[in-house]
Amino acid sequence: MFTTLYFKIKRFDGENEWYQDYELPYEKGKTILWVLTTIRETLDPTLVFTSACRHAICGSCAVRINDNAFLVCKTSLDEVLETFKTNRLTFEPLNNFEVIKDLAVAWEPKMEKMEQVKPWIIPAEDGSKEAGFIQSEEDYHQIAATTDCILCGVCASECNQLAVNDGTYLDPFILNRAYRFAVDSRDGSPEEHIRPVYENELWKCLHCMQCVTKCPKGIPLTDQIAFLRQESIKMGEVRNQGAKHAFAFHDDVKNKGRLNEVMLPIKTDGLINTAIRKTPFALRMIKKGKINPFHLPKEIEGIKGVREIYKFAQEVGK
Amino acid sequence: MRYAFFPGCTLESAAEELMISTKKVAAALGIELIELNGWTCCGASHIQDVDDFLATSINARNITLAEELKVDKLLTVCNTCTLMLRTAKLKMDKNEKLRTRVNEGLGRAGMEYKGTVEVTHLLWALIQDYGLENLKKKVKRPLTGLKVANFYGCHILMPPNVMGFENHMNPISMEMVADILGAESVDFDQRLACCGFHAVFPAEREVLDLTGKNCLSPKTAGADCIVTPCPLCQMQLDAYQPDAQKGFGEDITMPILHLPQLIGLALGFSPEELAIQRHVVEAIPVLKESLALF
Repeated sequence: MFTTLYFKIKRFDGENEWYQDYELPYEKGKTILWVLTTIRETLDPTLVFTSACRHAICGSCAVRINDNAFLVCKTSLDEVLETFKTNRLTFEPLNNFEVIKDLAVAWEPKMEKMEQVKPWIIPAEDGSKEAGFIQSEEDYHQIAATTDCILCGVCASECNQLAVNDGTYLDPFILNRAYRFAVDSRDGSPEEHIRPVYENELWKCLHCMQCVTKCPKGIPLTDQIAFLRQESIKMGEVRNQGAKHAFAFHDDVKNKGRLNEVMLPIKTDGLINTAIRKTPFALRMIKKGKINPFHLPKEIEGIKGVREIYKFAQEVGK
Repeated sequence: MRYAFFPGCTLESAAEELMISTKKVAAALGIELIELNGWTCCGASHIQDVDDFLATSINARNITLAEELKVDKLLTVCNTCTLMLRTAKLKMDKNEKLRTRVNEGLGRAGMEYKGTVEVTHLLWALIQDYGLENLKKKVKRPLTGLKVANFYGCHILMPPNVMGFENHMNPISMEMVADILGAESVDFDQRLACCGFHAVFPAEREVLDLTGKNCLSPKTAGADCIVTPCPLCQMQLDAYQPDAQKGFGEDITMPILHLPQLIGLALGFSPEELAIQRHVVEAIPVLKESLALF
């Protein structure tokens, strides 16, 4: 094992940013939070980072280590050294957040953004303050995993859409909140939580799986995004590129079994938009033989069985 | 070695060169690929947004087709196909209630999912089953002098509870293969980046921005080409590269190879035999120069 650990920490004083080097002797069985605390207590009292509970409950100590976000109080130093096979670690503040100082990031703008999805229960009509809102065990389990969210920001830091978005797209933890109240049996207006999600570029999620992979609480964020999309479709929001694209796959599998790549852009964007926007793309694909405009996929063997499976899924969905 | 083979939709049209090169490489290595009769599209990470039960059902059907062939493994050459099939398998194997329900639907098509087949990717199969030492013995033309940028793509790594072949934060499988073939792997910032392919329609501006970064980063690091185990990453980085170039001042030109094409080159096939001429961004000139091919 290593005897000395080398750390590079990204510093920011409100004006300038720089990387500062620190060294600590290796100690077995420590957390990453121990590293930060030890640096601040023994080497540099000016280093700023946030932490409080040390038990993965307050959500305040997330930072990036070698380009990956971690909740550092529950992250083993030994595991990180083993993962990256090195004794040199670079600490940076979370991505996709405004940095206040060093590793501390601003949450106020995120909280303001979160208000859009009305992250509170809009009471169902059949409940009242007097009678209470009794929830069955089954209904509770609908929201149990979602309420594990501690707003640590790891999902938002790793979100590849947020990294290139203009700020409209909602952070995964905000999508989780919208989902949490939309499926709560005590809530009477799921659409009020889902509509703002839909209107804030819900279909721009890149399906990269970073949020669900890195969430320290294992919340099934990508399943929630799929659910929110399904619900937006049920609300009638089908005339958008994302829904039309998903239906193109859905319908092609039912019709022939396989995707018709020639028709995909037209089904997603419409004939006119495709002609305007995708003509150079189509021409270069045809030139290289990558698209054959006359190729029509044949029905696969067993397509009747596939259609039976579709029919059954429809019955299950009802 | 014998695998059931799930090509996926792109191999039938836009990425036919991957079908060609996969078959050539498999034959040269003595790997038998039996294409599933009647496979359907895996849903490409889209069908669950309409109906997640259906998405699980169609992939349970695909896996069942492999089970009927009495093989141990179903092999793919696409990250997303692998993820979709493995996601369905995990759900079917872990959730008894769901499995019974899905099997009810499959029963109407005269099928039953049993859970006897594992889903793998060519990259994993080469390391886990074939063995890199055996691959090395088949190398006829070491790729000495070729600097490759390994672009993994998200869906071969994440989520780890479904994929889990190697550490998603620090994978090495692509470098191991490149090394055995004699190529030099170049480290670059966007090595584990997302290609954005699955949202190229609703998020065109953002995705083209990503494409530009994903090409520029290995170019700056001195790579001759990108190599990827996923035809969707390949399509995004290659076919959309001219569109991405419009948003960048500097030249982002970067040829993009499929993993089996890189392996095929080392096995002695010519770039043309591996259908590398089908790529939008010309890759053959840089390969001929780096590998001194004529």
